[in-house]
Amino acid sequence: MIPTSWFLILSAILFTIGVCGVLTRRNGITIFMSIELMVNAVNLTFLAYARQMHDVHGLIFVFFIMAIAAAEAAIGLAIFISLFHHRDTIDVDEANLMHW
Amino acid sequence: MEFAIFFLFAAIAVIFALVVVLHRNPVVGALSLVASFFALAVMYVLLEAPFLAALQVIVYAGAIMVLFLFVIMLLNLSHAPEAPTRPVQQFLGYTASAAFGIGLVYYIAKYAVSTTTEGFFQADAHTIGVRMFEAYVFPFEMVSILLLAAIVGALYLSGRALPRPAATASQPGDEVSK
Repeated sequence: MIPTSWFLILSAILFTIGVCGVLTRRNGITIFMSIELMVNAVNLTFLAYARQMHDVHGLIFVFFIMAIAAAEAAIGLAIFISLFHHRDTIDVDEANLMHW
Repeated sequence: MEFAIFFLFAAIAVIFALVVVLHRNPVVGALSLVASFFALAVMYVLLEAPFLAALQVIVYAGAIMVLFLFVIMLLNLSHAPEAPTRPVQQFLGYTASAAFGIGLVYYIAKYAVSTTTEGFFQADAHTIGVRMFEAYVFPFEMVSILLLAAIVGALYLSGRALPRPAATASQPGDEVSK
């Protein structure tokens, strides 16, 4: 049986890669995919602890997170389509209407 | 055998996640993310959650990533000019995330509980369904309403305005039809 902490370390690595993508990239779609990566890392943590605690609630949480991630992806991509229509780019540095 | 599968698919997940972050072409990034999600589904199977592994493949790799690919194709990003890099921002981003990751892995390896409870853990679709419809009916219905709201919002945000009838098409201040 694989120890829980190995899954936690894998989850931490994936989350870090997602953070790195959000911080360094400027393509909006890539930033969004990095966010999805972080969501999946958190799901892995939920499942690892659900197995360790023998508790189904972690799995139900993952189910809800997946549904909400689908809604989030739909809304976010619609926002990027709208931004592309208005600015002809999805470079997030160009979306600076609310910049000081 | 179990450990070999774990390391193989953990390496696949991490490598394809790195491709997502480092590759400049978003199409390659999206397909790599699909591969990474498949490897994560194998992790879910190893964690004795086959139902969620199936959901991971169907919902994430199947639905959400196809949505991403459609949007990338719709925006036709391959003709966009390459953005100039900003070295200071990149350096700070890599440094901060590397420090964050090293700290996270260090403290997990040091403090996370590594003892596993013995015994059989039943986490199939039947158990999840019974628990969900006993205790989580209300959040379940709320999620369905949230998805409906997301559909309406996405249609409103992304749709170009339909051609108006001639009587109202020339009104000033019509931002949506821009």
